[in-house]
Amino acid sequence: MRILVVEDEIEAAKFLADKLMARGHEVEIAADGEIGLKALLTGRFDVVVLDRMLPGLDGLGVIRAAREAGVSTPVLFLTHLSGIDERVAGLEAGGDDYLVKPFAFEELSARLQALARRPALGGEATVLCLLDLEMDLIRRTVRRGGELIELQPREFQLLEFLLRSEGRVVTRRMLLEKIWDFHFDPRTNIVETHLSRLRSKVDRGRSPALIQTIRGAGYALRAPT
Amino acid sequence: MPRLRLIRSTSFRLAAIYLVLFTCSVVTLGAFVYLAIRNETRAAFEARIVEEDDALKREFDLKGRDRLIAVIEARSLGSAPMSYGLIDAQGRSLAGELAPEAGKPLVAGWNDLSEAEPDEIQATQPELVHALALRLGDGAWLLVGDEWRRSRNLPTLVLGAFSWALAIMLALGVAGGLWLSARFVTRIEAMSRAARDIMAGDWRRRIPEAGFDDDLSSLASTFNRMFDRLEKLFAVNRDVSANIAHDLRKPMAHLLRRLEAMRDDAALSVARPEVEAAIGDVEGVLETFEALLSIGQIEAGARRARFTPLDLSDLAREVVEAFGPAAEEEGKTLVARLDEVWRLRGDRELLVQMIANVVDNAIRHTERGARIEVSVEAGPKGPTLVVADNGPGVAPADLPRLFDRFFRADASRATPGAGLGLSLVAAVAELHDLRYIAKDNGPGLQVRIGAFVE
Repeated sequence: MRILVVEDEIEAAKFLADKLMARGHEVEIAADGEIGLKALLTGRFDVVVLDRMLPGLDGLGVIRAAREAGVSTPVLFLTHLSGIDERVAGLEAGGDDYLVKPFAFEELSARLQALARRPALGGEATVLCLLDLEMDLIRRTVRRGGELIELQPREFQLLEFLLRSEGRVVTRRMLLEKIWDFHFDPRTNIVETHLSRLRSKVDRGRSPALIQTIRGAGYALRAPT
Repeated sequence: MPRLRLIRSTSFRLAAIYLVLFTCSVVTLGAFVYLAIRNETRAAFEARIVEEDDALKREFDLKGRDRLIAVIEARSLGSAPMSYGLIDAQGRSLAGELAPEAGKPLVAGWNDLSEAEPDEIQATQPELVHALALRLGDGAWLLVGDEWRRSRNLPTLVLGAFSWALAIMLALGVAGGLWLSARFVTRIEAMSRAARDIMAGDWRRRIPEAGFDDDLSSLASTFNRMFDRLEKLFAVNRDVSANIAHDLRKPMAHLLRRLEAMRDDAALSVARPEVEAAIGDVEGVLETFEALLSIGQIEAGARRARFTPLDLSDLAREVVEAFGPAAEEEGKTLVARLDEVWRLRGDRELLVQMIANVVDNAIRHTERGARIEVSVEAGPKGPTLVVADNGPGVAPADLPRLFDRFFRADASRATPGAGLGLSLVAAVAELHDLRYIAKDNGPGLQVRIGAFVE
C-alpha cells in the first residue's frame, strides 16, 4: 500500500514509517498540514494517517479541504484524547476511523488494512464464503460443510465482520467498537469469550481451523496457507 | 406553580409585611378620626338640644304653660328639626309627640325615647330619640330631643370613606406587591438560570445585567466578575493539567516505542520477558493517564451538549449481554432484571461505560460461583439502577470511599487496576445529575445509581 503519514512529531513519524515499510508498504511523511494536503491532493495514496493536531492547518482543516476537492482517500485520524468530541469532529469532517495516541502498532496496521480494502458501496454480497464456511445474510444462516450452525445474534455479527475482513487482522478494540459500540476497553475479556464460543461452534471438530489468534495483534479469519 | 413561587418570593413577603403595617396605621388613623368626629358631633348635637330646651323653659317662665303649649304646637307643625313633648305631673301628654314609654318614668336629664309617629306607618322600627327632660315650675316635664340618627350621619360617612380608601389601598398594595415580585422573581430566576448553566459546564455564561443601576444589577455584575475570575482560574488549571498530560504522554509514548523496538529487534540480545513486562508497565501508566483525563473531561461537563433521549434499561441489557459469557466463563452468573423502562437524556457511550464499569467491578471482585444481578427498580421518586453481588463485599468503613480516585479496598489490592473504574462511574453519574451509593448487600456489595438514592 502507499501510505501518507501527516505528523509533526518527526521521531514518531519516522518510527511509524520504518515499521510500515518493514511490512512492505510505501510510506511518505508530511511534517505539517499544508504539505500533507498538497500530497493528499495528488491522489497517489491508498490510505492516510493524519494527526489531529498539526501546526498551521490542523488535521480537521486538511481533511475538509481534501474532501471538498473530491479526494476520497480513506483517512485514519490520530488524536491525543479519546474524547467523544474529538472523535465525532474527526468523523464529521470526513475521517474514516480514529485512533488514540499512543497506540500499539498492530492496532494501526490492522485499521489501515481495513480502511484500504473497504468494500465499494452497493456491490455487497448477500452470501459470504470461505472454503466450506457459508454465511447467508438474507436468511441469516451459517453452514459449514453443509451442516447448519446455530449462532447467537452477537456471534452472527462477529462472524460476519470476520468474514468481511477475511484474511486481515482485526484487533480486540476494533471488535469492541464495531460489534458492541464500546469505545473503552473493559478489563473483563468479553471479546475473548465471545470469540472462543464462536470458534467452538465454527471450528471444533472440523478442519482446517478458520478463526486464528494472531499473537499480540488480534484475530483473523483465513484459510491456512 | 409560578403563582405560588411569586407569593413565596422574598419581595412579595416584604411587600406583604409592609402592606400589613400600612393597613394597621390606616386603621388606627381612621379610628382616631372617627372617634374625634363622633364625639364632636355628639357634643354639638346635645348642645343644640340644651339650647332649645333652655329657650322653651324661658318661654314658660315668662309667659306660662299655655304660651309654651302654643309654641310647641307651632314648632311641631313647622319644619322644626327637633321633637318636643310636654308631660304633666300625672304623666299625660299636653303637647308634642314625645312621651315616655309606659311604665318608664322620666328622669331629669337625658332620656332615650321611642318616637311615636302614627303618620309614618312605613317606619317599622321606631326612631330612637335622644331627649333632654326638664322639670318645669308646675311639676310638668318639658322634653326636647332629636333623632340619634342625625348625630351619627357624619361619623358614618367618614367611616365609609375610610373603608373605601382601605379597600383601594389593599388592592393596589397586593397588585403592586405582585408586580414588584414578578419583576424581582424574573431577575432572580435569570440569575439562578445562569448559575445552573455555569454549574452544568457552560463557563462562558453570565447573568444578564439590567440597564439601570440598582442593587440587583450591581449584585449581578459582582457575580459576573467573580465568574470571569473563576473561568480564568479554571482555564489556567485545565491548561496546567492538559499540559502535564501532554508533556508526560510524549516521553511515555517514546518510551513505549523504544521498548517495542527492543522487543521486535531480533538482532538485540535482551531479556525479552523483562522488556515485555516493562511494556506492560508503561501501558498501565498510559491507561491510568487516559482514565484520569477522561474523568477530567467528563467532569468539565462539555458532553451535556450531546445528550440524546435513551432508555437506561436498554443500555444495561447491552452490557449484561456483552459481559454474560465472560462471567459464565469465570463460573459466575450475571442476571438481568430490566423490565422497567427508564427514560432519560444522556450520553449513550458514557452511560454504557458507567454500567460496564460497575458490572466489571462486580465480576472482578467476586469468586467463582458468585451471582451478580443487574436491575432497574421503580421507585416513588424515579428508577434506580442496582448492581448487586453476593461476593465478599466491602468493609463498612470503606464503602463511602469506594468512588474516590485511586481508592482500593485492602482486599482488592491483589487484583489489577488503578482504582479509577468507580471514579469514572461517579463522574458519569454526576454529569447526568444522578446520585450513587455503595451499600452492603448482606452478603456482597450493592451499587445503586439513580436520581434519588438513599
